[in-house]
Amino acid sequence: MVEITDVVCSLCGCVCDDIVLEVENNKVVKVKRGACSVGKSKLLGHERIKSPMIRENGELKECSYDEAIKKSAEILYKSRRPLLYGWSSTVCEADKVGVELTEDLGAVMDNTASVCHGPSVLAIQDVGLPSCTLGEVKNRADLVIYWGANPAQAHANHMKRYSYVSKGYWTAEGKKGKKLVVVDVRKTMTAKMADVFVQVEQGQDYPVFSALRAILQGHEDVVPDKVGGVPKEQLLELANMVKEAKFVMTFFGMGVTHTGARHNNIVNAIQFTRAAHLHTKASIMPLRGHYNVAGINQVCTWETGFPFAIEMARGYAWYNPGELSATDLLYRGDCDAAMIIASDPGAHFPGESLKHLAKIPVIQIDPYANPTTEFADVVIPVAVSGIEAEGNVYRMDNIPIRLRKILDTDYLPDEEILERILTEVRALREKEGE
Amino acid sequence: MQTITLKLKEAVRSGIAAVPVEVDALTPDQLFGKNEAELKAVKVWWGNREENTGDLFDVSVEGDAGNAEEVKIVFEGDLTRVKRIGDGMKAGEIEARGDVDMRCGAMMEGGKIVVKGNANCWAGREMRGGELIIEGDAEDNLCAMYRGEDKGMTGGKVTVNGNAGELVGQYMAGGEILIKGNADRLAGLNMRGGKITIESDAQWPGSDMTGGEIVVKGETEMTPSFKFVETATVDGVEYKKYLGDLAMGEKKAKGTLHVK
Amino acid sequence: MADELLIRNGVVYDPINGVKGEKKDICIRDGKVVDSVTNPKVIDAEGRVVMPGGVDIHAHIAGGKVNAGRIMRPEDERKGVEPKTKVCRAQSGYSVPNTFATGYRYARMGYTFVMEAAMPPLAARHTHEEMIDIPILDNAALPLIDNNWMTMEYVKSGDMDLLAAYMAWIIKATKGFGVKIVNPGGTEAWAWGKNCDLNDSVPYFDVTPAEIIKGLAVANEKFDMPHSIHVHTNMLGHPGNFEVTKDTYDLVKGVKASKDRQVIHTTHTQFHSYGGTNWGNFESKADAIADYINQNDHATIDIGSVILGDTTTMTADGPMEYSLYQITGRKWTNHDVELETGSGITPFLYSGKVSVHTIQWAIGQELALLVKDPWKVALTTDHPNAGPFIGYPIIISHLMSKKRRDESAEDMHKAIFDRAALPSIDREYDLNEIAIITRGMTAKALGLHEHGKGHLGVGADADVAIYDMSPEERDAGKIQKAFLNTKYTIKAGEIVVKDGEVVATPPGRTIFVTPECDDKLTDEMMVTLKDKFAKYYSVTLNNYPVQDAYLPNPYEIKAPWRS
Ligand code: SF4
Ligand SMILES: [Zn+2]
Repeated sequence: MVEITDVVCSLCGCVCDDIVLEVENNKVVKVKRGACSVGKSKLLGHERIKSPMIRENGELKECSYDEAIKKSAEILYKSRRPLLYGWSSTVCEADKVGVELTEDLGAVMDNTASVCHGPSVLAIQDVGLPSCTLGEVKNRADLVIYWGANPAQAHANHMKRYSYVSKGYWTAEGKKGKKLVVVDVRKTMTAKMADVFVQVEQGQDYPVFSALRAILQGHEDVVPDKVGGVPKEQLLELANMVKEAKFVMTFFGMGVTHTGARHNNIVNAIQFTRAAHLHTKASIMPLRGHYNVAGINQVCTWETGFPFAIEMARGYAWYNPGELSATDLLYRGDCDAAMIIASDPGAHFPGESLKHLAKIPVIQIDPYANPTTEFADVVIPVAVSGIEAEGNVYRMDNIPIRLRKILDTDYLPDEEILERILTEVRALREKEGE
Repeated sequence: MQTITLKLKEAVRSGIAAVPVEVDALTPDQLFGKNEAELKAVKVWWGNREENTGDLFDVSVEGDAGNAEEVKIVFEGDLTRVKRIGDGMKAGEIEARGDVDMRCGAMMEGGKIVVKGNANCWAGREMRGGELIIEGDAEDNLCAMYRGEDKGMTGGKVTVNGNAGELVGQYMAGGEILIKGNADRLAGLNMRGGKITIESDAQWPGSDMTGGEIVVKGETEMTPSFKFVETATVDGVEYKKYLGDLAMGEKKAKGTLHVK
Repeated sequence: MADELLIRNGVVYDPINGVKGEKKDICIRDGKVVDSVTNPKVIDAEGRVVMPGGVDIHAHIAGGKVNAGRIMRPEDERKGVEPKTKVCRAQSGYSVPNTFATGYRYARMGYTFVMEAAMPPLAARHTHEEMIDIPILDNAALPLIDNNWMTMEYVKSGDMDLLAAYMAWIIKATKGFGVKIVNPGGTEAWAWGKNCDLNDSVPYFDVTPAEIIKGLAVANEKFDMPHSIHVHTNMLGHPGNFEVTKDTYDLVKGVKASKDRQVIHTTHTQFHSYGGTNWGNFESKADAIADYINQNDHATIDIGSVILGDTTTMTADGPMEYSLYQITGRKWTNHDVELETGSGITPFLYSGKVSVHTIQWAIGQELALLVKDPWKVALTTDHPNAGPFIGYPIIISHLMSKKRRDESAEDMHKAIFDRAALPSIDREYDLNEIAIITRGMTAKALGLHEHGKGHLGVGADADVAIYDMSPEERDAGKIQKAFLNTKYTIKAGEIVVKDGEVVATPPGRTIFVTPECDDKLTDEMMVTLKDKFAKYYSVTLNNYPVQDAYLPNPYEIKAPWRS
């Protein structure tokens, strides 16, 4: 038995990197420290797709890696508008090959940001993002605001490691010296811990931010008695807490990115943070879900100029979420083939979009079977990044961390599969003499 | 006067997918002076391949034109997956007989487009001049800016006979928009110039505006950061006049919002 | 068979070797300049200007804040789109081009090395990941070591040896090149929304920026570091800051360099040469800075010259970017990095119709023209802060042509005539001087001339730029055009640009420095550092250093301990 330290969890955007586990006979037998329960469960292993498969007469039949890769290349090469989607639960090295494949095919590339924090990216493009690393929050924040987010449930280690509960240089007392505000439509688990809970009516976050901004700008006189279900006194109280704090940290989640004004809620949240700067120091950060969704946005941006929802049909990138997001494309029936990697639209996309996925040829690249497998015509199992394969990922605060390889495997890593598909595609083109 | 009729072939819409055709190459200024054979050979993008116009559209030409102003293009057939009609157009006229796909009249500089149906998102995006008439509804981002830009429409005139989606005229800096029906959330968001008139209802119009004017004739759900100034009369009708958006700070709050 | 190339009959400018426009052949074998060749491919450079590959001493081309600039500005990205070609990847961006465009566009200007000027240590992997994706160019990156808590604590305790041990560790852990200092103390203060002048006390740390700069200069010279400390001085962009800049030079005047070079390089000095007390009476003090540089030999500068138009400003100087955003009201990104540094990004439009911008525009050129010895001054735009790097040829044409400068000034704000010196300066650069400020001086100031960069002597890297112009050319427009797109760019003996088009895209190398520190000192320092990781960092110590996988083409320079 060997003990391995500094293991990095490849599950959620917290990317905890201080995990200690025990390995015996090429198996994780115990997670000793550092991981939350979901992280633990991933590290201990789940059932895997056994072999590459190709669908024949409605049935997935086992085949070799070579056959599956060849078949994938044929589907993609033939396609007039392939969609390459997913990318947030694999490493940047694989994402890079994904961009190259997109460029080579003239495909549409989108990542899961478009169904989670894509709205935050759109907001950043309007107003920027005053933010910081999670260690800054830990060491300095004396007022933590969770808006439309419930980390107590969704990001188990978040509060303990980085925010309200953690202890740092100027926050040696942990939560004792801090204030916690939760803004949400219902009293969540996180809200129960809060010093102040602000209950907003569903879809009314936008005007609440506007009101707070007006108050911070010195115009409380124009704010009506109640905004979005929140009494003016409570808004004034919250604004005062902001003014009195030394370091205000706002985290927001999907509760605010996907309701009401959607990405403009985030614009307004960021504007609120900018206004807070008239009085104190303030930062804001999206609570990102998948462990490397920040990373695919980074890679896609430095390689193409844009973070997600791009089309390279004309040989260069055209970016337009709402036109080129995977959900839009599938909902409109705009693409004639799809490659789904490291994600599960089968479980997360609306039914209307899935109908189209059922119609077109679909390639799935993933370590695990999931609802998307039902739609797949080619299934390619891969090594689990962070357990069987190494590579770079970006934490939710865009800090790059290298996933470690802990176990040996015969499964090929994502990167290699993609490289081989790209090589096959190029061979097909050569053959056709284009 | 010359009329070029481009009817989308049914075969284009018969595959398992509805891959959009992009017709930004088919504007009056670009087609002026071409004979039928040349017209048919103009390349348009269909997915990741370029095709001949003649392979995707039935093409017919009637009459002659002395300049681009005298060229009229009529799009027919199922246009719901024909994108970028009149994108970047500088002169002449386009008539689209049916519902059109995204980015119709985007970057338009001059001439006139009439859509005899609904227009999908981003119609008139960053429009600079000319006239765009949508006889049905317009979906989101009508006359808005491109992602990240701080200037949207800067000139021209747009009329929507039906309703409009979210974010009409975002970052609008000039020109005029008339919505005869309702405007969904946040019309005139970040507006800095020009005028938007909404004949029916609007939710949160003019948020973060720093200039320009919005008139809402129906019901308005306002954001909480506008300052009531006075009762004012516009075209003989009484409105409450507000200044805003004070969420942007006093110095910048130079937009005018007229509501009932 | 050896890979040989002969560049025949070019007019060669190789200032490091004293070659000032001589008709000369350049022989190349296996990526290096050699004495002679036997069976070479021949390039006819008859009558054309030949220089070593350009060496950029300071630009922001890779890493977290560059990419944050890209993410924030799709409107900038769409400006520079070019489709993929048989050899090139798709390009995007104007002021913050994508990684591929960055490599291609530099290569087309004849550059073959670029220094990424600010690498936050905690995010060093990010910088390296992007540098891997920048084709053609050799590169290196300067880690930020000045607002670090460890640095400030050792400066306070006065233990210069331990400070040197920490400096060495950080440079090794980040696979960095040297010591970058950006608004020392000010960025830490910004974590609380404040800023620091040179002699202010940094909140909670009880040290001054002056002490930090002096301390790091001393620490740097304890090793045979190829480069001196590289300093973005305090109070960037503030009227009247030229005094701060001069005081900063004075701080390290007594420090002895471990090698034959400057002890301090101040970067984008244009932003630090301001007079006046407010934006109303803002004026150029380039003359005062140039006088100082002329009278002293321990300092070098790069100019950070302004290119008119829209750009994206980005620096580890968080409070500066905040003030800039306060002026413009445009989008603003900030990213404070725990225990180390921070950064800010905001778009900015330099307009020749605005008095302040016009004076800024003049200052950068004044610095180049008023510093007498070109070996003390480098051409930069602090890309993309004062403008994108593709504006270099514009500056070259202005430095070489008084007529061009006068024509430009005519269209600009009248302030240029009474609050700047540029219109009264007659000096014109010659091609030899241009070669100095774009390759010779920069390679020397970085110590890279000892590693094959910036010259064409036997043994040098076969990095060559052939410009499609005669040495007699005086037409500023033609000069500008020639410097934007080379006739040929050769990188490590391979033709990468021909007739202004990129024809090959070999990967570049990453040059990193290993300061060799005594184990005992390192061990002692590590006790404190481990405690920082245990209590305050959000990553573990073992996951912190940049792994070898991030440098697929490494080139190591060892810097032995001196004292
Ligand atoms: S919080 Fe997230 S990263 Fe950390 S152990 Fe749990 S699942 Fe893994
Ligand atoms: Zn810089």
